Amino acid sequence: MYPLQKTRRRKSAVLFALVLAVLALSFACLFAGPSSMSWEACWAALWRTGSPASDIRIIWNIRIPRVLAAILAGAGLSVSGLIMQTTLHNAMASPSTLGVSNAAVFGANLSIIAFAGGFLQTGGLVSHYDSGANPYATSLMAFLFSTLSILLILGLCRLRAFSPNVVVLAGIAVGAIWTAGTTLLQFYATDVGLSAAVIWNFGDLGRATYRTNLIMLAAVAGGSVFFSLMSWRYNALLSGEAAAQTMGVHVERLRFVSLLLASVITAVCVSFLGVIGFVGILCPHTMKRLLGQDHRWLIPASLLSGSLLLLAADTFARSIGGGSALPVGAITTLLGAPFFVAIIFSKKGAAHA
Amino acid sequence: MLKIQHLSFRYTPRGIPVLRDISMTLQNGEIGILLGRNGSGKTTLFQTILGLHTPESGSLTFDGKDLVRMPKRERAGILAYVPQDIQFGELQVFDSVLMGRVSRFGLRASRHDYEVVEKILADMQLEAYAGKNVAHLSGGERQKVAIARALAQEPRLLIFDEPTGNLDIANEQLIMEEARKLAKEKNIGILCSLHNLSQALAFGDRFFFLKDGAIRYAGGKEQCTEATIYDVFGIHVRILHCEGEILIGGRRNNA
Repeated sequence: MYPLQKTRRRKSAVLFALVLAVLALSFACLFAGPSSMSWEACWAALWRTGSPASDIRIIWNIRIPRVLAAILAGAGLSVSGLIMQTTLHNAMASPSTLGVSNAAVFGANLSIIAFAGGFLQTGGLVSHYDSGANPYATSLMAFLFSTLSILLILGLCRLRAFSPNVVVLAGIAVGAIWTAGTTLLQFYATDVGLSAAVIWNFGDLGRATYRTNLIMLAAVAGGSVFFSLMSWRYNALLSGEAAAQTMGVHVERLRFVSLLLASVITAVCVSFLGVIGFVGILCPHTMKRLLGQDHRWLIPASLLSGSLLLLAADTFARSIGGGSALPVGAITTLLGAPFFVAIIFSKKGAAHA
Repeated sequence: MLKIQHLSFRYTPRGIPVLRDISMTLQNGEIGILLGRNGSGKTTLFQTILGLHTPESGSLTFDGKDLVRMPKRERAGILAYVPQDIQFGELQVFDSVLMGRVSRFGLRASRHDYEVVEKILADMQLEAYAGKNVAHLSGGERQKVAIARALAQEPRLLIFDEPTGNLDIANEQLIMEEARKLAKEKNIGILCSLHNLSQALAFGDRFFFLKDGAIRYAGGKEQCTEATIYDVFGIHVRILHCEGEILIGGRRNNA
């Protein structure tokens, strides 16, 4: 059928453009930074051909892990948002809906403020707080608390009927508890502890290492493979819960597993990098406008657009920061929100689904 | 053949029974019509048959197979549902229909699945819509897409919850004729609820009058008398026989 092939080609073109844009921005991101290396120097260092050791270290130990982190975390946060929106029938659901980010913040703050997060051993230098005795302590605490929060909410919801609204409300309530806990912690914190905690909250791709990227890759790739396999079931879910069940979809089971995976992806990203908001709302909705709601297209498109947004935000943050990168979480929102508002108010919807 | 025996259901363990001791049968190829006031339990009965609620007691079988304990995917190959509030995501019509086969193909649609959908779209004259966004269609067109989706499941029994609720009389007629054709040509059973009594009499083979969760009357057209309708709906109507058709009209009560 002709019209089907036409839209299919259009959607493939969008995906292809996204892939190209991610690749192009990855290189731009690799070549931008406070060290005033020239493009040629960066290119040479990338291939390790006769460059100074410092250049090679900047590219291979600082910038490449950072670019990879932007790609992975952007993709993960974006696709998690999409899956939460679909499984909870709620356009405003996002990785923070289940209180995952709030719990991670609480865990990290607890580690930094109450247990000194390892940073005091480095002479109280706020900027080095996470390179102390155990750089993973804070991430580990963040991850533990977000996992605890997920299990608490999903466990509570299993007790009663697992309806989307109950999950959203429980998520908001539990999230509020973590936020209140964080406020109390910060009230009792020392000046140094408070600064360290606030800096952690900012979200910073510079914390990424090859090892943390590998862990993020495992979570994001594993989740995305599962989500892609379930594409048709998510499509069926758009017809409403009863209809999906009569089409043979185990709605509650799908919702439970999907939310668990999406939350774990978020928890991993947030624990390593700090809070990066809005990606999970902005990217999926923009892609829905462009491509319609067929998850066979929407899942890869959300992954790619998430990477794209975070790469763009990070490149921007490092280019205008004048030596120190601006908080990428704030830039993501600053860049994305106006664009998002424009998309929402534009008259042209997804005419061709 | 759908066979229901002594089916009872309530939403909460100590709540009021919504379905009380319901027994009914529907042969393949027959159109069974459920009549009753709002809140009489029609939708609950449908959803219980579809496995969305677990009955408190009683049995539900199709061609001798127990529907209650059947796995969801197997059940989806026997029963298909066109709900009262039809929803679709922003999908193409073709994909919305193909989606009905998810219980058959699981992860990825095969060549055969595409062919089945193409044939259904052709049969229902929806080919021209195949590439359109289903969210942008009119109520009647969406209703047709929902029916096509249900047919894509290749069910043995089709359950329609007020299929003509939002339609104008022309579309109502069209949908009911489509249903009639399906029942006869494909020998599938159709169970539906309708509010328009004349329409019900024109298209139904068997009638079930539901009141307060129990079946008050069941049978053929002869069950539709002024007395029955007064008992079930609490209104006086006039039944007219006109060139072999039966028309039911409202009558002003104590003007």
